[in-house]
Amino acid sequence: MSRGILSPADWRRPRVRWTAFGLHGVLLAVLFVVGLGPMLWLAKAAITPTQDTLRSPLALWPHGVDWSNLATAWTRVEVDKYFLNTVVLAAGSWFMQLLVATTAGYALSVLRPRYGKVITAVVLATLFVPAVVLLVPLYLTIVDPPLLKASLINSFWAVWLPAGANAFNILLVQRFFDNLPREVFEAARVDGAGPFRLFWSVVLPMSRPILGVVSVFAIIGAWKDFLWPMLVLPDPNLQPLSVRLPALQKFVEFDVFLAALAISTVIPVLLFGLFQRFFLNSGALNGAVKG
Amino acid sequence: MAAETRPVPLVLPRRARVRIRGGGLSTLVFLIPLLLVFGVFSWIPIGRAVVMSFQETNLVTPSTFVGLQNFRDVLADPLLWTAVKNTLYFAFLALLFGYPVPLVAAVLMSEVRRFKSLYSALAYLPVVIPPVVAVLLWKFFYDAGPTGVFNTILGYVGIGPVSWLQDSASVMPSLVLEATWAAAGGTVIIYLAALTGVSTDLYEAAEIDRASIWRKVWHVTMPQLRGVLLITFILQIVGTAQVFLEPFLFTDGGPANSTTTLLLLIYNYAFANSLGGEYGMATALSIMLAVVLGLLSVLYFRLTRGWSKS
Amino acid sequence: MKSLTAAALVVAVGLTACSSTDAGKQATSTGPVTVKVARDPGLDKGAIAAFDQRVAQFEKANPGIDIVPQEYNWTATTFTAQLAGGTLPDVFTVPFTDGRGLIERKQIADISGLVGGLPYASKFNANVAKAGQAEDGKMWAVPIAAYGQALHYNRTLFKQAGLDPDKPPATWDEVRTDAKQIADKTGKAGYAELTTDNTGGWILTTLDYAFGGRTEKLDSDKATAELDTPEMTAVLQQLKDMRWTDNSMGSNFLYDWNGINQAFASGQVGMYVSGGGNYGSLVTQNALKPVDYGVTVLPLMDKPDAGVLGGGTLATVSAKSDDAVKAAAVKWIDFYYLKKLTDKDAAVLDAKTTAASKQPVGAPQLPVFDRATYDESLQWVASYVNVPQQQLKPYTDKMFDQQLVTEPVRSTQEVYKLLDPVVQAVLTKKDADIADLLKKADAEAQALLDRN
Repeated sequence: MSRGILSPADWRRPRVRWTAFGLHGVLLAVLFVVGLGPMLWLAKAAITPTQDTLRSPLALWPHGVDWSNLATAWTRVEVDKYFLNTVVLAAGSWFMQLLVATTAGYALSVLRPRYGKVITAVVLATLFVPAVVLLVPLYLTIVDPPLLKASLINSFWAVWLPAGANAFNILLVQRFFDNLPREVFEAARVDGAGPFRLFWSVVLPMSRPILGVVSVFAIIGAWKDFLWPMLVLPDPNLQPLSVRLPALQKFVEFDVFLAALAISTVIPVLLFGLFQRFFLNSGALNGAVKG
Repeated sequence: MAAETRPVPLVLPRRARVRIRGGGLSTLVFLIPLLLVFGVFSWIPIGRAVVMSFQETNLVTPSTFVGLQNFRDVLADPLLWTAVKNTLYFAFLALLFGYPVPLVAAVLMSEVRRFKSLYSALAYLPVVIPPVVAVLLWKFFYDAGPTGVFNTILGYVGIGPVSWLQDSASVMPSLVLEATWAAAGGTVIIYLAALTGVSTDLYEAAEIDRASIWRKVWHVTMPQLRGVLLITFILQIVGTAQVFLEPFLFTDGGPANSTTTLLLLIYNYAFANSLGGEYGMATALSIMLAVVLGLLSVLYFRLTRGWSKS
Repeated sequence: MKSLTAAALVVAVGLTACSSTDAGKQATSTGPVTVKVARDPGLDKGAIAAFDQRVAQFEKANPGIDIVPQEYNWTATTFTAQLAGGTLPDVFTVPFTDGRGLIERKQIADISGLVGGLPYASKFNANVAKAGQAEDGKMWAVPIAAYGQALHYNRTLFKQAGLDPDKPPATWDEVRTDAKQIADKTGKAGYAELTTDNTGGWILTTLDYAFGGRTEKLDSDKATAELDTPEMTAVLQQLKDMRWTDNSMGSNFLYDWNGINQAFASGQVGMYVSGGGNYGSLVTQNALKPVDYGVTVLPLMDKPDAGVLGGGTLATVSAKSDDAVKAAAVKWIDFYYLKKLTDKDAAVLDAKTTAASKQPVGAPQLPVFDRATYDESLQWVASYVNVPQQQLKPYTDKMFDQQLVTEPVRSTQEVYKLLDPVVQAVLTKKDADIADLLKKADAEAQALLDRN
C-alpha cells in the first residue's frame, strides 16, 4: 500500500492516529452534509406538499407524502421531453467533438503535413481567447451562417457545430497520438494500408483511453451548458432541461417544480454512480497535471 | 458554453521524431472538419468580434465604422466600473472561500486509508448536479423569510434570519458560497491526483531528518503542489472573470446592480434592451476583457511549461 | 428548401443529415398559408384547449390558412434576441411602449392597409390608437388590449389579518397601515413591489403618477427627465418606510412580472400594484384560487395631476412576412383579439368557448374602442361571465372615474430599466440615500433622452 504524508511510524503513535481518525470522521460528516445533504433535502421536498415545504422546510412530511408531484412534473413540466432534448444535444456535441478531434489529431500528428505546424498554432491560439469574445459574433454567425441560406437558430446544429471547435480536445488527442508508437503505423503502411484504413483500423482502436476522456468532457460540458442553448434555441420544444427549468419556475407550482428539479438531478447522479471511477479520473485530468 | 472555462493542458505537443509526410489530398480530407468547424465557428467569429467592436451594428441597416466610439461608450458607462468592482469582488471571495477549502480537504483525504473512494465521491457529488438545477435549488435554500431552509437551520442556533440574496451586502457572498459548493469537488480531485504524485522518497528523506508532520506538510507537500496550486489559481481567476450563470439566475444582477458582473453586462448590452442590442458595445467590452484574460492565459502557459519541464 | 439546407450542410460539414425547423417558410407556395401566432407560455391544460378550439374555429372559417401556435410572451430581456434571431412568431404582441420604436426601425411589417380595411378601423380610442401608429398616422400595430394600473389584494389574507376585504385601502396611508397589519398578523408580505426586468421602473412610474408626478416633460422636440422630484422622493420614502420602519414588505425584493404573480397566487403577498386585467393570467398561468382575489382602484393623492398609469398591448406582424402571411395574420388578429370586442356573434362564440374550458370570462379591461362599445360587449357575454364579479367591484365601480395617464413616450423601457436598481436599492439597502439615487438616475435618464 502506498503511503502519504504520514509514515507507518506516525500511524503507530496513538496521538497522531486518533487525531487523524477524528479529523477524518469530521471530514466525512461534513462531506455527507455538504455533498449529499442538499440532494436528500430535494428528494424529500419533491414528495412534500407546497405548504409544508414553505412553512417548515426541514420537517419530514408533517402532512403526509405527496407522490403525485413526481407524476405531475413528468407530464405537466414534460421533463421527459426536455430530458430527451438534453440527451440529443449532448450526443450530437459529443459526436462533433470526437469527429473533429480524431480526424484533426490524426492528420496533424500521424500524417503530419508540412503546413501542420501552422494549423496547430492557429488552433492553439484560440485557447488564449476567452469564450466570452465569441458570444455575440458567434450568435450573429448562427443567425446568418456563411454557405447556408437559412438561420441555424432553433436548430440543434447551432449547438452541435460550435461544440466541435474545441481546441483543448485537439490538443489532448494530438498529444496522445504523438506518443503512439510510429513503428505500428509504418508496419501498417508497409502492409498496404491507406490513410483511411490506418485511421479506422489502427489509430482509432488504439486511442480508446483518450476518446473516453474527450467523451466525458464533451458530455459533461453539454449537460452543463446554459447560456448558449438559451440564446440559440428559443423554441421551448427544442430546449434542454437546463434552459427550460428556469423558465418554467414561474408557471409551475412550487412542489411540482422541486419534483422536476429532483428528477433532473437523479439522472446524472445515477450515471456518476455507475461510472464513478471514470468520472473521477477524468476530473483529475481536467487539471491536466501529470503525476 | 461561452461562460465556461476551458481547461487548458500543461504541455505543448512534442516535435515529430520520425518523418512520414502525408501532405496529399487524403490529409486535407482529414483536416476538413477541423478547418470548417474552427473556421466558421471560431476564427471568423473572433475576427468579426474585433471588427464589430469598431462598428455600429443593429442588424437592420448595414454596419458602419464608428472608430473608437464603442470603447468610449463602454468606458463612460458608470455600470462598467460597478461590474469591474463586482467581478473583482466575486473573484476575491471565490479565492477566499474556494481556494483553501479544497486544498485542506484534499490533504486530509489523501491520508484516509479506508473508504477513500466514498470521500471523493461525496466531495464530487455537487459537481455532477447540473449547474442550473443547483442554482435553482439554492435559490430556495436562500429564501430570506424566517422559514427559508438556511434560515430555519440558523434559527436552531439563534441566528438570523439572514437576507441572503435580498440584501446588497450579503448577496455576493451568497453567490460565491453556492459557486464554491458547486465547484470545490472538482478542485479536490485535481489536488488528490497531484498528491499521489508526490514522491514518497521525499517524505522518507524528511523523516530521516526527524521532521514533524506539520513540517512535512509545509516543506515537502506544499512545494510539490506549487505548480498545481498556481494552475488552479489562474484557472479560477479566468473562470470567475467570466461568471454569468449565478448572477443571471439568482438575481439578474440585482439588488441594485450589486451582482452585475462583466459578462452579465456584456449580455445585457447585446441582448437585454428590448429595442435593439448594442452589439458594438458588447464586443468592445468583450475584447477588452479578452485582452486582460489572454495575458493571464499566456502567463499561465509560460508557468505551466516551466513547471512541466522541471 | 429542406434539401437545399441539407445539401449545403453536406458541403459544409461532410455530414448527411439536417433538421431545420424553419424550412419551407420563404417558399412562396400556392398551398395553404402557415401563420405562427403567439400563445402565452405556461398555460394550464384548459387554457390550451380553449386556444386550440379558437384556432380550429378560425381555420374552419378560413380554409387555406394554417395556424400554428407558438409559445411567446414579451419580456424586455428576451425580446431583442428573438427579434435579431428571427424567432418571433408571425403574429406577436408588444407593449404600447415599444410600438413607436419598432415602427421607426421598420422591425415590424406595415399592415396599415389591411388594418384600414377592418370595419372598426376608425373607432379606436384615439389615445390607444396612437401607440400603434407611425408618425404619419398609419396604423402598423393594432392595439388589442388596454389596462390601467390597479391594486390587487388577497382577500383571504385581509380576513386573516382582521381587515375587511370589502373595504380595501383608498389612500397610500391606508395601504401602509393595512400592509403592516397583514405582515404582523399573518407573517406574509403586506405589500410587495415589482423590481426587475424593467418592471421596477414601470411600477415606480405608476406610483409617481399616483402621487401627482410625471417622469418626463416634452417640449416640442426636447424631452426632459423629471425623476428627481418631490413626488418621486415621496414615493420612495413611502416604500422605504414600509420596508424598513414597518417591515411589511416581506423578504423577497427581486420580483419580475411572473414571479410576483406566482407569489401572489400562492398566498405570499397581501397587496401589489399591476395592470387591472391581471386576473386572467393569475388564474390560467399561476393557479390563483378565485376566492382569494380582490382588486381595487389605485389610490391617488389628492392632487390635480395625480392619475393612473395606463398602457396596453399591440398585436404586430413580423417584418419578414410576405403579403399572403400579412393578410392571414391580420385576419387572425381580427378574429382572435378584436372582433369579439365589436361583434356580438364573435363575442358570444369567444366567451362560450372560453367558459366551456373553465377559463375566466369577464375580467376587467379598459376599452380599446369607445366606452359604449365596451359596455355593449359586456352585455353580450353577460351570461357566460364566470369571474367573481362581486370581488372585482371595488375596481370596476370606479375605474372610469380616474384620470388615465399614458406611459412616458421617449426611451420608455430604457428609463424603466435604469429605475429598477433605484427601487431595489431602497428596498435592500437600509441606508440608501434617496436624494442621491434620484439625482443620479435623473442625470442618466437625461443622457439617454439626449442621445436618442
